[in-house]
Amino acid sequence: MLITRRSALLSAATVTTLGASRPARAAETMKIGVVSPLTGPVAEAGRIQLNSLRLAVDKVNAAGGALGQQIELIVEDDASSNPGAVLAFSRLAERKEIVGFIGSIRSTQMNAMAPDMLKVGKPVMFGGTDPTLTKLGNPWLFRCRPNDSYSGRVIVTFITESMKLKKVALIHSTDAFGTGGKNAILANLEKKGLQPVLIQGYTNNQPDFSPVVLAVKQSGADVIVSYFTNEPDCAVFARQLRQLGVRTPWVGSPSIQSPVTRGLAKNALYGTYAVADFVEDSNPTAKTFADAYRAAHKESPDSGWTYDALIILAKGINDAKSTDPQKIRTAILSIKKFSGTEGEYNFDQFGDGLHGYNIVINNNDKIDYKEHIEFTD
Amino acid sequence: MSDFFQLIFQGLGIGAIYALVSLGFVLLIRAASVVNFGQGEFSMLGAYLLVVFFNILGLNYFFGIGLSVIIMAGFGLIFAYATYWPLRFRGGLPVIISTIGASIFLQNMVLWLYGPSTVPIDGLFDSDGFQIGEVFISSQYLAIIVIAAALVLLQYLIFEKTLLGKKLQATSQDKEMASLLGIPVVIMIMITFAYSAALGGLAGILVAPILFVSVGMAGIITLKAFAANIIGGYGSIPGAILGGLALGVAETLGANYISVPYKDAFAFLMLLAFLMVRPQGLFGEKISEKA
Repeated sequence: MLITRRSALLSAATVTTLGASRPARAAETMKIGVVSPLTGPVAEAGRIQLNSLRLAVDKVNAAGGALGQQIELIVEDDASSNPGAVLAFSRLAERKEIVGFIGSIRSTQMNAMAPDMLKVGKPVMFGGTDPTLTKLGNPWLFRCRPNDSYSGRVIVTFITESMKLKKVALIHSTDAFGTGGKNAILANLEKKGLQPVLIQGYTNNQPDFSPVVLAVKQSGADVIVSYFTNEPDCAVFARQLRQLGVRTPWVGSPSIQSPVTRGLAKNALYGTYAVADFVEDSNPTAKTFADAYRAAHKESPDSGWTYDALIILAKGINDAKSTDPQKIRTAILSIKKFSGTEGEYNFDQFGDGLHGYNIVINNNDKIDYKEHIEFTD
Repeated sequence: MSDFFQLIFQGLGIGAIYALVSLGFVLLIRAASVVNFGQGEFSMLGAYLLVVFFNILGLNYFFGIGLSVIIMAGFGLIFAYATYWPLRFRGGLPVIISTIGASIFLQNMVLWLYGPSTVPIDGLFDSDGFQIGEVFISSQYLAIIVIAAALVLLQYLIFEKTLLGKKLQATSQDKEMASLLGIPVVIMIMITFAYSAALGGLAGILVAPILFVSVGMAGIITLKAFAANIIGGYGSIPGAILGGLALGVAETLGANYISVPYKDAFAFLMLLAFLMVRPQGLFGEKISEKA
């Protein structure tokens, strides 16, 4: 390449401008704090969350950013633990220039950070699905995934109205997640005047599920509903169910369609249904996001809530025309009929954005969208 | 009735897994008077080695198993050198604690090298199993039962019918006396560690297609195997086998006829009952402290 005096001068000028503009630009960005698992057992989920967030940042910034400023993420690692999350949030809380936060997908971490979030008094978008989180009297929590009270309701609606089945065998882990799920199913069945023909709890990490499978067989159930916490448990149960010749239709909590469970159980899960919050074929926004994600990262995303969270937060700031937390809160709560990757957001007074789930079916290891069940009450 | 036989078969299958892991315990107890709490990690490592050889490097399945077992035997020597050797004159307890430490170290090392994800692995046979009447016989469980039985026989023959076995037993009973009789005590103990690690690795490989391969895969199985060892008779080979099988059948039947969530509790209730009523176990001898 021929270096002329002109081009040399030009590049020198560019370098100077870049160098000079950097501190100025940094001061002008709109800062969003992110608590994410960068290390520890769920670091894989953290990586996908951050990738999605960066896609959302690019989208918002390309459209002009928030209040004319470019959005910048300030990320702190929660080390996949509650103490780590509390520490990460306190580091972010010290930075006064941060206008809002993206919290955790884990309810237990959200519970741990919630008191500090209340003290800081700025909007936090999060993904944990424990229904009580938005009922703590903490006005700063905004949920971008459907909470667990909807999963039980959607499962019961699907089996009674779409499948027209009534004899339920309910299999659940005896931990907090599984018991919560069991209670939600029981409450919703009761509303329809139904009782399960079998309620079977199990403790996590079982090497053998044959007693549970035989109990299902003996119960005469026409549909299995399950809340499995650990993926290997779900896979062991699925395989033994098929080996012992049980072909009863099965509708499960989200873990039965996760890539890990499908990888372990393989064909034993073919034909099963699951509730799922993110399904790329469920709406055009999800499809566009998934295509953009694949183009950038050569893999499919398994969740889109952080993408929605950032876009909604930016929309809140823009709608409020201010970085005043109270005004942003009012703006987020008035977001209705907003199309996100996880569904249509209609924020209620508690800060829950979504009120329904998708039902998916495992067609030979391909997760196909079946239907979306939405509630307005 | 077919359900009852199904439960018995499943119970025997799970019980054979406990028995295999328990055998590893018994060996070290008999030959070196050591309770090795890293026994479960031997199983986990064996399964991970097969994942590396078969899933990742694409070697022949059975060649992969052979290679894994041989490497595990070598690893047993390293394990002995690290956990047993420096503490060999300090009595049993420091060695037990050192094996617990080694087990935590090994779990974290695998977590660091391989990550937390659970991996599926193929079984010994292409077919899942077959039906006899209404009872489904899982081929992998059947293989575990058969291999466990074969290993018990082999172990019995080694200990009772060979000079090597006699030397190993002598070493276990009184190291000083054995050494005075010209038995190379150090070599005997090293052989035991190597065999025990190879056995543990094989148990892990056999269980992996059923339970999948993960860092914590051996956790509850190791505890149950230890319980089986006490129920059967501390340090007794037939006891380890029968204790394992009895435990597997009892908890499977208990889960089905009494309560699934309390399934794990049955094993430990059985253990408590034996400790109170028959502390020497099914086949144990009443051993008094040597003067």
